[in-house]
Amino acid sequence: MTTATRRVKKFNNMESAAWKWMRYTGVLMLPLVWGHVLIQDIVVGVHAIDNAYVLQRWSNIFWQVYDILLLGFTFAHGVNGLRQVVNDFVHTQRARNILGWVFLVFWAVVTVIGAWALIAVGQANLAAQL
Amino acid sequence: MAALIASLRTTLSGYVRYRGREGHYAFLLHRFTGLGTLLFLAIHIVDTSFVYFYPHLYEEALNIYRWTPFMIGEILLVFAVIYHGINGFRVIYVDMVKPAAWTIKAQRKAATWTLAISIVLWLPAAGIMGYNLLHHNFGMFGG
Repeated sequence: MTTATRRVKKFNNMESAAWKWMRYTGVLMLPLVWGHVLIQDIVVGVHAIDNAYVLQRWSNIFWQVYDILLLGFTFAHGVNGLRQVVNDFVHTQRARNILGWVFLVFWAVVTVIGAWALIAVGQANLAAQL
Repeated sequence: MAALIASLRTTLSGYVRYRGREGHYAFLLHRFTGLGTLLFLAIHIVDTSFVYFYPHLYEEALNIYRWTPFMIGEILLVFAVIYHGINGFRVIYVDMVKPAAWTIKAQRKAATWTLAISIVLWLPAAGIMGYNLLHHNFGMFGG
């Protein structure tokens, strides 16, 4: 029996980058997200979490970096996933382009809000330690 | 507008009427768990930022998270995160490492295993979170 190799043209465009992004970040997110959920939801639990808990957590550079990576990978993975799902429902290129920009702005605004708080709290704690 | 409604209908009826069995259910569950997690995540990023911007509002947000319906939602969220992770890993592994395994027979089996492993991992998590819920909100187990 011979096996026929099907040749396909490879594209290096935005969509193929997005395809790879979902897979690479997906692998990184397995330990990051599961670790986060395991610690915060299962071991610590929402009744033990308050302002002081979060401030203390973010005064540790390890958890600050952990949460920055979590924010960067997870939300971009999620919003790109939303874009891919919506593209299955919206069939004109024009509408897809418009929605693409809407999702990009949504992603950027929420990411900046999250990163701002994370870094500002860390800086404040660092200043307090000095 | 008519074209938009037509395109919505085409895709949605495909979601419902396609008879791909295990692969079809895995596709739907992957999308559903992904979108559900994203909805939570967007809210979660903004409310956690209140720790810096409006600390008293963060306490309010936590009171909502400690409310019984939200804690039940959180238990479902953990299932979504576990399933989406394992099913995503299945897709990544076959796409990037072993494309020859993209056969209907192998993937029907793999999709079933994915769901089974997800449930097995979720049950102890759900047990602990259910215990916390009963302990804190219903005064059980000496709460």
